[in-house]
Amino acid sequence: MMRVEHIQMRYGREIAFSAILAALMLLFSSCGRTPGSGDRGAAARDSTLVIAMLGDADYLNPVIGSSVTSSNISGLIYPGLLQSEFDTTTGLLNFLALEKKFRPSNGGRKPEAALARTWVMSADHKSITYILRNDAFWDDGKPVVSGDFRFTYRLYGNPVIASPRQQYLAELIGADRGSVDFDRAIETPDDTTLIFRFYKPVPEHLALFHTSLTPLPAHLWQNIKPEDFRSSPLNQKPVGAGPYRLQSWGKQQEMVLASNRKSNLPKPGNIPLINWRIVPDYTVRLAQLQTNTVDIVENIKPEDFSALLKANPGVETKSVGLRVYDYVGWSNIDQAAYHKNGQILPHPLFGSSEVRRALTMAIDREAIIDGYLKEYGSVCNTDISPSLKWAYNRSIAPHPYDPAAAASLLEKQGWRPGPDGILQKQGRKFSFVLYTNSGNARRNYASVVIQQNLKALGIDCRLDVQESNVFFENLQNRKLDAWMAGWSIGLEIDPLDVWGSDLKKSTFNFTGYRNPRIDEICELAKEKLVQTDAGPYWLEYQEIIHRDQPVTFLYWIRETLGFSKRISGEQLNISGTFYNIDDWTLTPSSNLAR
Amino acid sequence: MLTYILKRLLLSIPLIFGVLTLTFFIIRLAPGDPAAFFIQPGISPNVAEQIRAQYGLNDPLPVQYVKWLANVLQGDFGRSFSRAQQPVFEVIAQALPVTVTIAALTLVANFTFGIVIGIISAVRQNSFLDRFLTVTALFFYSMPEFWFALMMIIVFALKLQWFPASGLNEIGAESFGPFGFLVDRIWHLVLPVTVLSINGAAGIARYVRGSMLEVIRQDYIRTARAKGLPENVVIFRHALRNALLPVITLMGSSLPFIFSGALFIEVIFAFPGMGRVTVEAIFARDYPLIIANTFISGTLIVFGNLLADVLYAVADPRIRL
Repeated sequence: MMRVEHIQMRYGREIAFSAILAALMLLFSSCGRTPGSGDRGAAARDSTLVIAMLGDADYLNPVIGSSVTSSNISGLIYPGLLQSEFDTTTGLLNFLALEKKFRPSNGGRKPEAALARTWVMSADHKSITYILRNDAFWDDGKPVVSGDFRFTYRLYGNPVIASPRQQYLAELIGADRGSVDFDRAIETPDDTTLIFRFYKPVPEHLALFHTSLTPLPAHLWQNIKPEDFRSSPLNQKPVGAGPYRLQSWGKQQEMVLASNRKSNLPKPGNIPLINWRIVPDYTVRLAQLQTNTVDIVENIKPEDFSALLKANPGVETKSVGLRVYDYVGWSNIDQAAYHKNGQILPHPLFGSSEVRRALTMAIDREAIIDGYLKEYGSVCNTDISPSLKWAYNRSIAPHPYDPAAAASLLEKQGWRPGPDGILQKQGRKFSFVLYTNSGNARRNYASVVIQQNLKALGIDCRLDVQESNVFFENLQNRKLDAWMAGWSIGLEIDPLDVWGSDLKKSTFNFTGYRNPRIDEICELAKEKLVQTDAGPYWLEYQEIIHRDQPVTFLYWIRETLGFSKRISGEQLNISGTFYNIDDWTLTPSSNLAR
Repeated sequence: MLTYILKRLLLSIPLIFGVLTLTFFIIRLAPGDPAAFFIQPGISPNVAEQIRAQYGLNDPLPVQYVKWLANVLQGDFGRSFSRAQQPVFEVIAQALPVTVTIAALTLVANFTFGIVIGIISAVRQNSFLDRFLTVTALFFYSMPEFWFALMMIIVFALKLQWFPASGLNEIGAESFGPFGFLVDRIWHLVLPVTVLSINGAAGIARYVRGSMLEVIRQDYIRTARAKGLPENVVIFRHALRNALLPVITLMGSSLPFIFSGALFIEVIFAFPGMGRVTVEAIFARDYPLIIANTFISGTLIVFGNLLADVLYAVADPRIRL
C-alpha cells in the first residue's frame, strides 16, 4: 500500500508541475513578444543575412563537398586561383586573374579575389603556367603558395578520397594511361609559379576551367592520411582565406559565416554575419520569408508568387536561367532484348523518330507552361540552352502542338484505332506507363496534361510516381519505357554522356538513342582550340536532335527566388546566386520602415 | 519483480538484435544506392565505385554482415555515410536531446490536458460540454499530425504571427541572456509541442473519461457522497486517485508514439532531432545511421513496454510479476 501512495504523491506533484508549465505557456502566448528581446533581435537581424536552405552542407571542404550548399559556402571561405564570370551577352564563361582576363570582362566579377596574377598558355597548348600573387594569406597567417595547389591536386586525384571533381584532372599527364603522373603534371619551381602539363593539346578555356580547382592549406592537411580525410576534424573548422570564415556550424540547423576581417581576397564581406538556416519544409520556408524571419528562399513555385508578394511587400521575386529543363524520355531501344543479350532493336512503341515526333506534337507544351510555370518557362527544343547564346540555334522552330498532324504521322507508322479506341499496330496496343519521381509538383502537373493530350489521340498513358532513389536506379538500369525527368545543364557543352552511341560508356543515355553523327560532332567540337570555332558543330547538333527527338523536350525553367528588399547589391546570373555576396549590403530595418 | 525485470531485459537483447539484423538486410536489399548522388554527368564514373569501396559495400552481403556484426558487438555502429563520416552515435548524441526535450514536454502536456478534459467529460457525463469535448477530442485524434502542423503554422505563424514557424531559436538569441534565451526556446517549442500533444491528449482524455465513469459508479463513491463530503473532495480525493491508476501505464506505452510523431514535427518545424536524422538517413540510404536509429527506437519501444508493465504492477497490487 505504501508503494501505491508514494506513486500517487509523485503523480500529484507531476500534475502540479504540469499545471504550472501550462499556465506559463498560456502566459507567454497572451503577452505577445517577450519584452526586451525585440530590440536586440532587430539589431542582430540588421547585421545578419538569413538564407533558408533545403538541406545542410555535407563537407565544407572543396575536395569532397558535393552539395550545392557546400559549394556556395566553400566559395566564400576558400580562395580561388581565378575568378570565373558568365557573360550573359554571349553565354561564354570568362576567367579573370589579377592582371589578365581571358575575354573582355563585362564587369560582373572583381579580379581582386583571384590568387593568380596572370597566366601563360604554351604555344602547343600542352601546358599552362600561372604566376601567383605573394600577398595572399590563409586565416592562420601562413602564405598561400603554389605548393598548396600541387598538394591539393593530389588529393583531388586520390581514389581513396574519391573526390567528385576528379574529372577535372582528365587532361593532366598520365590521365590517359589511368593515373595522373603528378610529379610531371604539376610543377612548382618556386612559391609563386605553378605549372600544369597536359598529355594532349587542351583549349585554353578548358585548361583554365580544369586547373582552377580550389586549394587547401597544405601545412594543415599534409599529415592527414587519405583514409582519414573525410572524417578529419579539420573539416568542421575550415581554414580559408576568402571574404567569410565559418563561425559556427550546428549540423542540420544552421551555419553562421562571419565577415573575415583579415581577407584581401578581395576584401572582408560587407554584411557582418550570414546565417544559412536549414528548413526542410517548403511551406515553412515560404512562411518564414513572408514573416521576414529569413531573407532569401530559393526555388519558390510560381503559383505562390502573387500571394507572397501581396502578403509581404518587403519581398521581391527574382529569377535566373535557363539551366534546367524537363523532358519526357522515350526508350528508343527494346530494353528487354538489350538486357537479354545486348542486342539493340528499336523499341516497339517509341523506336521510330517519326512516332517520337508525333508524341511531341501531341503534347501541348504551351498549355503546361501557361498553367504552371507562366512567364518562368519557355518551350525547349534541345538540351542547348538559349542562354548559351554563342551556340544556340535560333533558326529551329519548336514542333507545334498539332494533334491532327500527330495523328496522321502515327497512322503513317501503322498505328490505327482499335475497337476500344486505343491505337493498335500488329496486335500491340499503344499503351504504356509514364513514370516520374515523387515530390515534384511541376512534373505532376505536366504528367496529367500529357496523359490527357495522349488520350485524345487514342494513346493509353498511365501515370506512376516512384520514390526518387528508386526512380533513379530504374532509370540508370534502363528499366523504364517512358518517364519524365529533368536535367540541369553545365556551362560547358558536353552532351556525349547523354546521347553517346556506346551505351556502356554513356551511362546517362537512358533512352538508348544512337546516332553516329552526334558522336562525331561532339568529338570534333571538343578538338577545337578556340571555343567559339565549335559553334557550327553545335548548330548542326541541335538540328539533328530536334529532328530525331530522342526525347520530348518540354520546357526550360527559370529558377525563381524570393528576396527581401532590404538586400541590395545582388547580381544573380546563371552561374550562381551568391557569387558576389561579399558585395551585398543590408538596409537597417528602421530605415526600411521610413 | 526484480527477477521479472532482469528476465525481460535479458530477453530484449536477442529481440533488439533480431530487429537490427532484419533491418540490415532489408535496407541493403531495398532499391537505392548510397553512392547514387555521385552518379551524374560531369562526375567521373569511378567516384561512385570508390565511394562504395570506402563504405565497404562492394563485399558480398554475408561478408558485409559478418564485418558489421563484429563491429556492433564491440559497440561500434560505424560512421554515417551522409553526414561527413561522423560516428553515428555522435550524430545521435547531437539529435537526441532535442527530441527528448520535445518528447518530455509533450508527455507532460499530453497528460495534463488529457486528464483535465477526461475528468470534465466524466463528471458532466452526457452534458453539452461532455459531447462538445468528446467530438473535439475525436476530431483532433483523427487528424494527421503533419497536416495539423501546417495548419497551425499558417494560422499562428503566418496570419497571426504569434509564434515562429520553425527553428529552435531566433537569430541572435545568444545575446538575449540565459533567461531570454530560455524563453525564446520555449517560444519556439509552443507550436510543435501543441501539435504533438493534442493528438495524444485527445486519446488520454477518452481513456480517463472511461476509467473515471467506472470509478464514479463504485459503492465507495456512493458512500463518500452519503457521508456528506463535498463533491470536489469526492471527485478529486476519492474518485480521481483510483481512476488515474490505469492511466499511469499509458506513460510507458505512449513513448514510442511520441517519438514517431516527432518524425513529422521535426521535419516540418526544422528541428535537428532524431526524427529528422531518421528521415534524412532513409532518403540518403545512410545504412549505418538507419541501423543506429533503429537500435535507439527499438530499445525505446522495448523499454517503454517494460516500463508500462512494471508501472501497471506497481499501481495495481493485484497484478504480480
